[in-house]
Amino acid sequence: MARFGMVIDLRKCIGCWSCTVSCKEEHFLPRGMFWNRVLISESGKYPAVKKEMYPVLCNHCKEAACVDVCPTGATNKREDGIVVVDADKCTGCRYCLIACPYQQRTPYKDDKVEWFPGQGFTQFEILGRTLYPLQKGTMTKCNFCAERIDEGQKRGLKPGVDNDATPACVISCPVNARIFGDLDDPSSKVSGLIKVRKGFQLHPELGTDPSVYYIN
Amino acid sequence: MEYEWMVRYTPQREWIEGQGVLLWLAFFFSEIGAGIYFVSLFLNFKAGWLVGWLVTLVLGGLIHLGFLGHPMRSWRILLKPASSELSRGLWVIFLFGVIGFFQILPVVFSGLPWTGESSTMSTIMGILCILIITHGFLTMNVVRALPLWNSSMIIPVSLVSGIWVGSQTAELMLKISGQELYMSELWSRWSLLSYMAVLFVYLWGTYHASDTAKESIKRLLIGDSAVRFYIGVLVIGIIIPLIITLVVWGNGFEELSGGVLFIRFVCVLIGDLTMRYSIMKSAIYTPII
Ligand code: SF4
Ligand code: SF4
Repeated sequence: MARFGMVIDLRKCIGCWSCTVSCKEEHFLPRGMFWNRVLISESGKYPAVKKEMYPVLCNHCKEAACVDVCPTGATNKREDGIVVVDADKCTGCRYCLIACPYQQRTPYKDDKVEWFPGQGFTQFEILGRTLYPLQKGTMTKCNFCAERIDEGQKRGLKPGVDNDATPACVISCPVNARIFGDLDDPSSKVSGLIKVRKGFQLHPELGTDPSVYYIN
Repeated sequence: MEYEWMVRYTPQREWIEGQGVLLWLAFFFSEIGAGIYFVSLFLNFKAGWLVGWLVTLVLGGLIHLGFLGHPMRSWRILLKPASSELSRGLWVIFLFGVIGFFQILPVVFSGLPWTGESSTMSTIMGILCILIITHGFLTMNVVRALPLWNSSMIIPVSLVSGIWVGSQTAELMLKISGQELYMSELWSRWSLLSYMAVLFVYLWGTYHASDTAKESIKRLLIGDSAVRFYIGVLVIGIIIPLIITLVVWGNGFEELSGGVLFIRFVCVLIGDLTMRYSIMKSAIYTPII
């Protein structure tokens, strides 16, 4: 079985927020909810200041703290390594959110929030409530576009290779800074990049073993 | 701003702000109820059993439910005791409710074929009380991402503070019902001294644990939470009760009027609530980049 992961090339990222926007669009995320962010870090001292873009999302950790603490099994890891939330089982206790060292979970608290306050829901928001309904009072997070992956695989497509079976943030990146694939397959592009370009994880010391790697 | 997400030390909010305040109160009431029950077991003070049981289940339980986004699904929390501390905690509270019910029943209804005073039952209830007293901080303690909570000394703090508040409540109830206070005052003295010691060791030990832990302790002692900590935890929660306890210790039980006991009880309650609030509020995450 594959273990899906992502490599993000920090040298290529230009901080255009396409991933952030395409993720919101793909999942019809309400105002204020982000499953994908691009952080900006500055290091060094004037005049040698360096600015870096860090796209961050759920790391789909191999040893996911959120899965361990969830008391109901609502947060669980699929066989392909994707960490998902089953909203029907979620009690809204927010233990997973507290436990996530990367703070990559967002509770869905208010289903009245409109994209344009006071203007009512747009056609897009109304469509989202039918196609991708979120449950108020439950936890949400990036799911590596599991629905795209599942649908694509049913049609014989390969995640990370075929666009229709690949996360939206990956295919929308205009500079190909995101690469998706099977970490357990030594011949995959992600495995190769991690090996050759010394991919690193965020806070490996926490023992979560993230499936999102960065190269620089 | 979204691009500033987790780029600095970031406080946890979900378990202390907004609806999160309910969790703080829920942990407090469950633990204090168990503390009252625990001390009352030793003093064989049966009214204390009933009060402790009710505080834990009714106040603690209902407030816990109010905190959840989907309270009707709370039964699901029992499903993963092998990995989730929250799940284990609910099982303990469930057993405490059932076994405690059978221990208290003869107190309320006479003529039952058992007394509730069996040493086996009391031992089991004592163990369950200890587990409930430490439940809130144990739940927090497993969160490795928040070093202020992930400190090994947080469990002794929780245990001793639960017993300290429980002893105060039980002593006040003993006074009201006109009973002997010698044993309960001994409990109070030693639990206050132990509380001061474990709190100090917790703060000192955590400060030296990691950079993020150090930042958290700074927040607690010289940052946003400092005023709350010094007034609530130190002055009201420790110094005033300490003065009262030492005066009573030196001058004997004549000083122990109902009014003095009540003042100490209120101070201890405020101190404990503030201590728990401050620790929940000051926990911070390490920046992710
Ligand atoms: S990044 Fe956080 S939410 Fe995602 S799998 Fe890891 S611990 Fe869970
Ligand atoms: S909020 Fe939901 S998904 Fe998260 S730990 Fe609680 S029950 Fe599990």
